[in-house]
Amino acid sequence: MEINDGDEDEFGFSRNYFLAKDMAASGKKSTHKLSDIDLVDEQELRAEASNAEPKHEKEIESLMESYKSLYSKWVFELRCGFGLLMYGFGSKKALIEDFASTALTEYSVVVINGYLQSINIKQVLITLAELLWDQLKSKRRTPSRNLSKAQQPFNTRSMDDLLAFLDGSQEEENDGVVCVVIHNIDGPGLRDSETQQYLAQIASCSHIRIVASIDHVNAPLLWDKKMVHTQFNWCWYHVPTFAPYKVEGMFFPLILAHGGSAQSAKTAAIVLQSLTPNAQSVFKILAEYQLSHPDEEGMPIDNLYTVSRERFLVSSQVTLNSHLTEFKDHDLVKTRRHSDGQDCLYIPLASEALEKLLSDMNQ
Amino acid sequence: MAPSATPIDSSPPSTSSSVDNNLQPFFVLHKASSGKSERKSTGSAKTRRRIDLSPSLQMNAKKLEAKRVEECDDDCYVNLRVEAFEIVWSKIESTIKNVLRDVNTNVFNEIHRWVCQSFNTIMSSRTIAFHEATQAFPIITDASSKQLFTGLVLTMDISILASWYREQGNYGNPVVVIVEDIERCCGSVMSDFILMLSEWVFKIPVILIMGVATTLDAPRNILPSDVLQHLNPCKFTLGTPTERMDAVIEAVLVKPCSGFSVSHKVALFMRNYFARQDGTLTSFIRALKIACVQHFSVEPLSFILGGISSEENEQVLQDGLLLQMVLKHAFDLPSFVRNTTGEHNGEIFTHGLSEMKKLLKHWGIVVLVRPESFLCVNSIRNDEYIDCLYEAGKYDKIRLLDLLCEALDPELHNFRTSDTHTKIEEDPCPFSSNYRCHQQYPVFRKGGFIGWALRKIHEKLKELRPVLKSENDKSSKEDMTNISKRQASRSQLYMEDTKAVYEKATILMECMVRDYMQPIESIPLHEVFCFKNVEKLQSALIGDPRRRIQVDLLESHIILRCRCCSGSGNTLLPTMHDTSIMYNLAQEHGDLINLHDWYQSFKSTVLCPRSKRKQKSKQSPSKKRKNLTEPENLSEAAIQARFCRAVIELQITGLIRMPTKRRPDFVQRVAFGL
Repeated sequence: MEINDGDEDEFGFSRNYFLAKDMAASGKKSTHKLSDIDLVDEQELRAEASNAEPKHEKEIESLMESYKSLYSKWVFELRCGFGLLMYGFGSKKALIEDFASTALTEYSVVVINGYLQSINIKQVLITLAELLWDQLKSKRRTPSRNLSKAQQPFNTRSMDDLLAFLDGSQEEENDGVVCVVIHNIDGPGLRDSETQQYLAQIASCSHIRIVASIDHVNAPLLWDKKMVHTQFNWCWYHVPTFAPYKVEGMFFPLILAHGGSAQSAKTAAIVLQSLTPNAQSVFKILAEYQLSHPDEEGMPIDNLYTVSRERFLVSSQVTLNSHLTEFKDHDLVKTRRHSDGQDCLYIPLASEALEKLLSDMNQ
Repeated sequence: MAPSATPIDSSPPSTSSSVDNNLQPFFVLHKASSGKSERKSTGSAKTRRRIDLSPSLQMNAKKLEAKRVEECDDDCYVNLRVEAFEIVWSKIESTIKNVLRDVNTNVFNEIHRWVCQSFNTIMSSRTIAFHEATQAFPIITDASSKQLFTGLVLTMDISILASWYREQGNYGNPVVVIVEDIERCCGSVMSDFILMLSEWVFKIPVILIMGVATTLDAPRNILPSDVLQHLNPCKFTLGTPTERMDAVIEAVLVKPCSGFSVSHKVALFMRNYFARQDGTLTSFIRALKIACVQHFSVEPLSFILGGISSEENEQVLQDGLLLQMVLKHAFDLPSFVRNTTGEHNGEIFTHGLSEMKKLLKHWGIVVLVRPESFLCVNSIRNDEYIDCLYEAGKYDKIRLLDLLCEALDPELHNFRTSDTHTKIEEDPCPFSSNYRCHQQYPVFRKGGFIGWALRKIHEKLKELRPVLKSENDKSSKEDMTNISKRQASRSQLYMEDTKAVYEKATILMECMVRDYMQPIESIPLHEVFCFKNVEKLQSALIGDPRRRIQVDLLESHIILRCRCCSGSGNTLLPTMHDTSIMYNLAQEHGDLINLHDWYQSFKSTVLCPRSKRKQKSKQSPSKKRKNLTEPENLSEAAIQARFCRAVIELQITGLIRMPTKRRPDFVQRVAFGL
């Protein structure tokens, strides 16, 4: 899979940023609207997306097959203390999990799905510590001092404590190694620098080996020199699979779906649930007003205050403002200037979505 | 190498559980199978499964049995190789550690002397001004000194410290405070600290040791001048990265250390990596380690390196089965095939191995001795010549790594051994005073530095010959003496001496270079010791996701090796990977891509009928193809779905940015060019 460095010119596209800027600025910028396309219904779109016939199935399969010859090399490098970092276009989830379940049977393997939105690193650490503890215990070679120390349950121990346990002494190292597979170490749930620091610390532990994948072209920017050279200690592998990013792309909105109204109504409902009943009622007033006055820019703030006060929902302008701030923070409500110069409030949702939201709230 | 997994094994985990797992933030894939015994049993289970699948053929079963034995042996090999790697790497690592410690030892000793001296000054001259007593000097790392009584004591009451100092019987020893990196300290806190210490310096003879990573200006930049005058600094410098690098190279790659060595190309790559990357030893050592692990992971015979220094491997070779395996591999090595004739047996192999070891030892000695042998010539006091020849070495222009690269180059070696006697070219000094010259390899003329040096010696000899002759005939010819005027004026006896020394030196050097400084790559069986695959090293060491992922997309058909899309040149075919089509189309746009246009060109590409493919190679985004006859049964919904999915995939790779509220109809390109 080696590609020569000299290929660059052959592509004939190596235009740089400024050329691209130039193209955009040269007045040819297209004015076509997305709405010019005859967009199909979102549900149909989703159904089609999940049923789409895959291309090159055979070739992808043989590509995956070809990587199997590398498995033993990968295991070797893991055993020698390196981390494996897989990159290249296509989902590498199946590849890495296949590698882990066929070639890493000697080790316990924990899989982290970095493409998900939120991952609790502490929970991961606790699981790792428990696995390692089981492993060491079954070998019965653990020195007694560690035994007593570990009797305290792992879930009450601090991150540093857990890391120290995973970074045990060299003699024990051969007895227990836990492999951590991290799909999309550059994914949304792991992207922040604090998490990356923790991951690097985990990676540098003597009882831990890491196999990770990245998909973002700028992923290496997540790491500084220390993390790359001494903590993760990556061995890079270019393993494009061209397999569809099915799970990884699950939470991305479809760009041709209708404004994502369903999505935002759903999120709005979730946010509203967490607010006080009074705040919810204020929101309802606004929503009802917007539905009954579809042609207006929105509801004037004074107007909203008067109605809310009448219904004993707020006692002062200050209370209302605090509700409004909450709404605005969650993008539930926006302000715009009325034609007569007055500021007015509106909910950035289509009428149907708003109706659905109201009916959900009333349930 | 064990084919660790067969196609049969590749059944993915059952779908229902994997769907659950896919949505878990994390999960345990499996627990460790306990111990090595089970490892073997899984191996046999694998075989059993395989046999089950082909029970009818006896022949197959036999083959499988043979294969099983082989696999088992390979398994042993892997373990042996891992062990060998650990042995070799720990040797290299400890060697590096020792070398670096030795490099620092001198400075540390100097510092220690200085501390004692400063302390004596403080104690003896109690009348001197305060500011002369508190001294600080910059060094680069921490010095583990016996006199370290305290770290930063800002939170303490200094008088407590003073009474502690008197009470504990510490009186008579200096208090050394080490600030690891002054540039990372808060200036105001540091100032207060220094002022406070300077007031107490007679009660507590504090000596400051500060680490400075950049320039000597550092304290001046951080501390105000009234604080600076309380310091009496003295400078100590630790070895530069290049000096330490030379020391490490010498100990690890030139002298026989672990037996592991690298080829010419790998050495070149590592040198450039060192020079271009960040010039730190850390990155060099990492490169070396990756080279090492790559070697042990692919070279079946590398396990021999594990016992290279002991006689262990001879014992290993007593093991009949293992020996068979070793020989099987060894006789396939190209260097062995090239260099041996006749029968292949264990003796030849062991003999080859010990020869190899001997050669390696000699090689190291010769590479290292060479500079000294130059010095030997040097002592003849022929200044003009020496200046020119040793300029490089003298003024730090040639590093050991450069010499190593040259010594490892098989082509240069061939050139040297064949041409030194015949070709004495007019060759100007290959080293410009420009420091950069040795970083951009190859700057040397044909034959390199070593060849050049040899030629110079020859030249010198030639020069001497007529001089001697003329001295003998007592008829000095003026036209010949331009260069050798000084020699001509010297006594004949001296000339004879000089000539003899030159000749001896030349013969010695030539002999050493020819016989012992053979590049490792030209020695039989070198594959066992020498890592050669520079591409592997490079790709494992430096990932290049930004470029590679784009290339994947732009040339998907090359990687997928499918018949349907290859041979299309730059034409986009409907059979191509959707995301690949989309990214190729995106190249036609500026920094913003109009979604509508992008969609239309995608649609026309995937609907493009086969017969018309050629003419429709490149679509300008503005051209719409609404009248296109839709030959396939692709619904609009299906195309839109595929478009959406491709956009998501591009979003995951980070190559495009989603529409903003300000520009709802455009996505933004992120990467321009590779």
